[in-house]
Order: sequence, then C-alpha cells, then structure tokens
Amino acid sequence: MATLIQQIINGLSLGSVYALIAVGYSLVYSILLFSNFAHGGFLVIGGYICYGVLHTFGTGIWVSGALALAGAGLAAVLTERLAYRPIRERTNVTLYLLIASLGMSIVIENIFVIVAGGRFRALPPVIPTTPVNLMGMATTSAFDLLSLVSAVVFLGALQLFLSKTRWGLAIRAAAYDLRTAGLMGVNVNLLISIVFFVAGALAAVGGIFLSVRYTLYPQLGAITIKAFVAAVIGGLGSLPGAVVGSLILGLAEMLTAGFISSQMRDLVVFSMLVITLLVKPTGLFGKSVSEKV
Amino acid sequence: MKKNWLIGLAVLVVIVGYFVMQQKPAPEAPKETPKQEAPAPKAAETPKAEEKPAEAPKPAEAPKAAEEPKPEEKPAEPAKTEEVKAGGQPVKIGYLAALTGDWAAYGQTEEKTARLAVEEINAKGGVLGRPVELVVYDFRTRAEDAVNAVRRMIEEDKVVAIVGANGSGINIATAPIVNRLGVSQVGTVSTNPLVTVDEKGAVRPYSFRICFTDPYQGKLIAFFAAKELKKMNAAILYDVGNDYSQGLREFFMASYGEYGGKVVADLGFRGGQDVDFRAQLTEIREKGADVLVLPNMGKEMALIMKQARELGLNEIVFVGGDGYGEFMWEIAGEAMEGSYWINHVAPEDPAMQPFFAAYKERWNDECKEFVNGVLGYDSVYWVVDAIARAGSDDPKAIRDALEATKDLKLHHATITMDPATHNPVDKDGVVLIAKEGKGQFFTKIKP
Repeated sequence: MATLIQQIINGLSLGSVYALIAVGYSLVYSILLFSNFAHGGFLVIGGYICYGVLHTFGTGIWVSGALALAGAGLAAVLTERLAYRPIRERTNVTLYLLIASLGMSIVIENIFVIVAGGRFRALPPVIPTTPVNLMGMATTSAFDLLSLVSAVVFLGALQLFLSKTRWGLAIRAAAYDLRTAGLMGVNVNLLISIVFFVAGALAAVGGIFLSVRYTLYPQLGAITIKAFVAAVIGGLGSLPGAVVGSLILGLAEMLTAGFISSQMRDLVVFSMLVITLLVKPTGLFGKSVSEKV
Repeated sequence: MKKNWLIGLAVLVVIVGYFVMQQKPAPEAPKETPKQEAPAPKAAETPKAEEKPAEAPKPAEAPKAAEEPKPEEKPAEPAKTEEVKAGGQPVKIGYLAALTGDWAAYGQTEEKTARLAVEEINAKGGVLGRPVELVVYDFRTRAEDAVNAVRRMIEEDKVVAIVGANGSGINIATAPIVNRLGVSQVGTVSTNPLVTVDEKGAVRPYSFRICFTDPYQGKLIAFFAAKELKKMNAAILYDVGNDYSQGLREFFMASYGEYGGKVVADLGFRGGQDVDFRAQLTEIREKGADVLVLPNMGKEMALIMKQARELGLNEIVFVGGDGYGEFMWEIAGEAMEGSYWINHVAPEDPAMQPFFAAYKERWNDECKEFVNGVLGYDSVYWVVDAIARAGSDDPKAIRDALEATKDLKLHHATITMDPATHNPVDKDGVVLIAKEGKGQFFTKIKP
C-alpha cells in the first residue's frame, strides 16, 4: 500500500510538470490548430536564461525565474513572428506551420549547442529537494510538492486570465473561430503574440523545474514529446484536458515502471496514445476539429 | 524592414547569450576519462561510444587541448626521436595517439607520458644497450587513419611494437593489420573483450591490453560490495540498451552470488531517454537493498543518486564502475558524497605520486587525464620490459615475451597476462571514494 501511495505521488509530481508544458501546446493549438513542436525549445530557453542569470548576476530564484519566464515568452513571440506569421499570411494550410515548428525546434536546440555547449548543467539548489515524510506513508521531496503547487498556481492564474480579462475573452473567442473573432474587431496578430507569450512563459516554468530535477542540456526539450502525448490524450485545444491528460500520463508512467517493468513505460505511454486516437480521436475533452481542417 | 530588425534582434540575443555563457564560472571539465570507444564496426561494440560524446569534454572545452602546443599535429608525420643517451641503432616503438579531434586532450596526454617514459628509460641506458625511439602517429579518432598509421609504422618505420590506441573500436579496427603483419599492439584504455579475442573467442596473437576488461570490472564491483563493504543485499539499475552496462551487470551478478551476496532488485531503464528513476528507486527501497550498483555512464548515475536521496534512501551505498566522471558532481551535488567507483587508477594513489611529480616537472602541467596518462606511461614500460626479456628486437620474440608477462611490477599495478585472452589477470582495481567534491583514492582491491 505504501508503495502504491509512493508511486501515485511520484506520478502526480511528474504529471504536474507535464501539465505546464501540455497546456502551452493546447493553448497554441486551440487558436492556430497546429501543434507547435518548437514548444520544447521554449522550455530550454527558459532553463538556460534562469541558469545564466543565476550564475552571472547571482540574483535569487524569483528574479531569475521572472526573467526566464519573460525571456522564454519573448522568444516564443519572436519565433511566431519570424517563422509562423509569414506562413500564416500566405496560406491557411496548418501543415506548413507544423513543418516550420519542427524546423524551429531543431534551430533552437542547435543554437544552444553552439552557445552553451552540449554539457550537462545543474541549476544551483534554488529549489529545496530535501525529503519530506508524508505521515509515514510515503516520502517525497519538497521539490515534488513545490512543483505540484506551482503547477496549480500557474494553471489557476491562466484560468483567471482566460475567464476574467478582455484578452482572455478574445482568446476564447478566437479559439472558437479565429476568423470571425478577427472580423469582430479583435487584433488577431496581437492576440496570437499574447498566446505565444503565455505558452512560452509556462514552458519556462516547466523548464526551470525540469532543469532542477534532470539537469539542463540543449536536448532537454525532447521531453515535451510526452507532454504532447498528454495533450492529445486530454484533447488538443482543451486546457482542462491537457491537465487531466498529463496527470493520467504521469501516473501511468510511474505505475507501469513500479509494478510492471520500467522497460514497458514508453510502450504503455504510446499505446495509450494510439488507443486514444482509435477510440476517441479528439481526446478526453477535445473539441471536434473536422470542420476547421 | 521590420523583419530585418527582428532577425537582427535574434542574432543579437544569440551573441549576447554566447558571451554570458562563456563568462559564467564554468565548473571543471570532467577530470576522469570516460572510456573512449570509437565507432566500431559491430553494433555490439558501440553502445558506449554513443553516450560518450555528450559526457566527454569537447576539445574546445578541455583546457589542455586548447593551451598546449601541438608538436605532432602533422597527422601523417611520425615524431622525431627523443634525446638519446644510450648508443647504437634505436629500438623503435610505435605510439598510436589521438593528437587532434575529439579525443585530443586524452591523446596528447598519452603522448607526453609515453615520451616521459622513453626519456626515463633512455636515461637509464635504454634497452638491449640501445636507445628507445618513440614513433608517434595521430589517428584523429578515426579508424581509417589508425589503420593507415599502423600500416606505415610497421612497413616504413619498422617499429617492433605499438602502444595505443585508447579506444576499443580503434584497436578492433587495427587488429587485422597488426596480426597479419606480426607486430604486437597494446591497447591502453580499450576495455571491450573483442580487442584481444575474436568473435569466436580465439585470442588475437598480436593484440594485448594493459587495462582490465568490462567483465572483470563487473567482478571487481561485486568483490568490493560483498567483501569490502560487507553489503549483501544489492540492487542493480542498468541501461537495457547498452552493452557496457549489460555486461557489467551480468558479470556483477554472477560474481556477487559467489561471494554470498543476494541481488534483491534487478531493474532497467532506457539510457538516453529516461531521466526519471523514482519508480525504480521506490521499488529498490521496498526491497530493502543496502547497496545500489550503477553500471552506467555519468549523467544517468548522477540523476539516480540525486533522486534516491530525495526519496529518502539515505542509508543505501552507491557503487559504480569507470563510467564515473567529475562532472557528475554538478548534477548530483551532495548525493555523490560517500559513493564508491571502481577504476583503473586514481590521482591520489600513493604509488603514482612520483609519476605525477615527474610529469609536472617535465611538461610544466598537471596530468589531468590521469587514466590515459598512467596507462600510456606504464604500457611503454611494459613493452620495453618485454623487449628486454625477449633479448632481441624481433617482433615475434617480443610478442612471446608480452604474452609470457608474469608478476611484472609496473607503477600502477602488477600485471600477469592470460595467454588465452591477452588480458591482464587479477589486476588491482582502484577504488575511488567521492569526497569533498572530487573522486579520491580509497583503496586498491584484487578479488
């Protein structure tokens, strides 16, 4: 029983980091209807900015983290301006955006290989990782609890932004129908920039947590493939879906590794993806996209 | 215009980022030599190589590589002779080293230590009353260059034996040449069993090595865990897709059982993909293991140790092999403290202190790549000893003498050759303990 509880906690903390990344995927998808595979790059950008600021200026995690969020958000906006907008303006075929995003993910990764080198870097212990005993039933690290809490805070803030602000309303309208929203007077380009900024900033939060847990290197963004799977399972374009999908995926990974075999982990994850696509292609909470594509 | 401005901004960000990353206090590059495996022709021989580049210091980052003059840069030109004190026609020994390319830091160290050895030997009168001449060729980490270099050494320079290279794949590539042309080759850090035996297990007559093999390393880890640490309940967490890891695991498990130990958890992960090991560590905790064996490469081992401590596995002892690298400290931090690593040599080994002092005096530098340095140095001493015992510079006689090596006291170990495998048998393993931010000499072991 204690093992089960332990594995569930492990799974939830892993899932919470996936959720931060998956929400970014879903956010962009809900507006532009394409999966931004450069999203992993924003996570790496956030991680490196945090690392760079911490080491160069010696500021605390709050300042470094804020700069990382802003930097990754701006990088996401810049990526959209440079790589996606010219394509968006020429065609409405989202496949080209998808291909461009694959290219951008490689560009970003290689920029970091050149700039920072391929070496593994660890963030200084800015986030406590001391073991925490949960009523004698399980042990987790303070870091895991913090990542859970942070995910809840950031996703809650996002929800507030979407439901309580004018731009949130515009984003929800655009998610329903981008073209009509534009016709109704919404500045579509600015709206898309805001969406990318928010997605990039959330990726940076995930990047900082992943860098603390798994170290930082240019290929760290590859982990977003799991977040993408989570977003698909939850339903691309649905924010609650991204969160639920991430938690399910985190739990599935940990329970498989703990009770079946660690080698079966990826097999189970990707089988879940295939089964979801076969049984319910729109995912658990996904909206139907048939009329849009 | 607007787009140009944006592109300009992007370029500026990259440039500023570059300078910021260059200025930050860079943690030390790994001092330890991750074993260097060249891309070998067979899939079964390569897995370690695939992981190495990420973990080994790049030439540009390795301070030595950048600072040192590179006297032997001309790839195809053999080095000129040492200052000779003994008289007569020199006895030529070939040295195959990576003086340029990814392994330049290791190769240049080997070359320097080999020159140091030759100078010491010549100062004492050389061998057979003649001076020793070192003929160095750069193989640029490429198997084809190594094959050409070896052929030239033998056919044109008439070397009587060859030392190097420091990677299994290179030695496997040159093995057919040296065995056909009948000149012995001694690998320095080439640990793959296939360096000295072929796929059927038959010994390659002219191929030798001075380091221990991966199977032997597995046995050393078992011996240390069971006999020295007295930990009898081991868990093992290995990379299912890596032959090095699989091999160490297999031989560890066989030997650990013989020493009375019990493997309570045998778990795998996918190297290069998995970064979260808490599921396996939770199971290891449940099984009550008192030692965790890590037959892997640096990054994964560091993450495993860090996550284990975070899960509250405070008592468990970590024991690993020669995949240890100093850079692991940056990832694992305090979780490294008190872990043990079986290796070939240690910088603090008291027996090696005269060598390190001599190296510093001769080259005005620390011998940072100490595993390569020490093994290159002792390989030259071993070959010269074999020439002396052979009593002639005939390559066949030298081969026989190398094969017949018994209880030869070198600087880092006492070696005896197994004629059936051309591996040193019962060689001392050096145990490093991770303490105060670096790997320190703990003890020497022999099962």
